[in-house]
Formats: sequence, C-alpha cells, structure tokens
Amino acid sequence: MEFLVGSVWAAGLAIGIAAFGCGIGQGMGLNGAMAGISRNPEAAGKIQVNMLIGLALIESLCIYALVVAMILLFVHPAIAPAVKALGGL
Amino acid sequence: MADLQKLIDFVTKTNWLILFFGGIIGLVLTPMKFALGIILGGLIVAINFHLLKRTLKTMIQPEVVLERGRSVVGNVLVKYYIRFAVTAGIICLLISKHIVHPVGLLAGLSVVVASIFVATALEISRLLFKEAV
Repeated sequence: MEFLVGSVWAAGLAIGIAAFGCGIGQGMGLNGAMAGISRNPEAAGKIQVNMLIGLALIESLCIYALVVAMILLFVHPAIAPAVKALGGL
Repeated sequence: MADLQKLIDFVTKTNWLILFFGGIIGLVLTPMKFALGIILGGLIVAINFHLLKRTLKTMIQPEVVLERGRSVVGNVLVKYYIRFAVTAGIICLLISKHIVHPVGLLAGLSVVVASIFVATALEISRLLFKEAV
C-alpha cells in the first residue's frame, strides 16, 4: 500500500516539476528571442529556427516525464495487486 | 539563413523518415503493441513539431514582436500548454487502456530528438570535414 502511495506521489511530483521547469525554460528562451528581435529585427529568421529546435527539445523532455508518470500510475507491476486489494477501484 | 532553413527542412523530413523506418522495423521485429507504441508516439511528436513550427512562424516575426512586445511570450506559452494538455490526454489514454507498450511509446516519442541529433551530427561532421580540407 505504501508503495502505491509512493508511486502516486512520485508521478505527481515528476510531471509537476517537469512542466514547471519546461515552462520556465521556454519562457526564458522566448524572452531572449523577443529581446533579440526587438534589437535586431533582421535576425528574426535565424532566431526563429534556433528557437524551434530548442523548444522542440524542451517539449520532448516534458513529454518523457509525462510518460514516466503514466508508467508509474498505470503500468507499474505493483499497481494491479494494490488495486485488487482495494477492491478493484 | 538559407542554411538554417535547410536544417529545419532536414529535421522535418528526417522525423517522417525515422518514423517510417522505425515503424516498419517495429512491425517486423517486435510485438504489435510495441510497434503501435513506436508509430503512435512518433506521430504525436511529429504533429507536435509541425504545430510548434507553425506557431513560431506566425509569432516570431519582427512586425508581430514590435507590435505586441512581450505578450508574444505568453501567447506562445499558452499554445504550448494547450498542445501539451492534448498530448497528455492522448498518452494517458494509450497507456491506461494498455493499447501500447510504454517502452515502445518512449521510443516513438524520441523521433524528433533523434532527428535533431542526426542533424547535429551531420553539421559537426561537415564542420570537421571543412576544417580538414
């Protein structure tokens, strides 16, 4: 039972921290891009391409955390017996 | 600038190529659920990448930035969170209903990262080759 509670806590914390970190990372990147474009509008194309690569990598990190959280919640080997013990909730 | 645009085109094409060949290899060598994980995961991130590209192409323009200022940041982040919520819903459905194997899904979700790494490796090798010549 404690293991189930631990898994649920871990899943919640994992996706919470990951989304928070990725949001902050994307915000900082975009902030820098906006400042760069305001100072030098001709560089917008270059900034756009680099932003795309950077944001795609940041997003995939968050998706990985999401999948790990889902695995902890739904596919963990200890989940099925625990749910059975709780009466098949 | 043309080089950078070429890089993005390369990454976009490589996404679909890796998804295609990964899907075929998965279908041939692994169980159905694992292959389905690779294909669906790859599709999710490839579509996500396209949507991100469209968002950035419309938002990161000098006219838009100069007109709206920092509110562009909020706009892009809101779109990101909407996209992420939809992705989360789909992944939750796929894993909770045991439609796909989670490891296969992780492999599929790595398609964009893999193509960016391939592009980086090619650029580095091109730089090294140029320096050697």
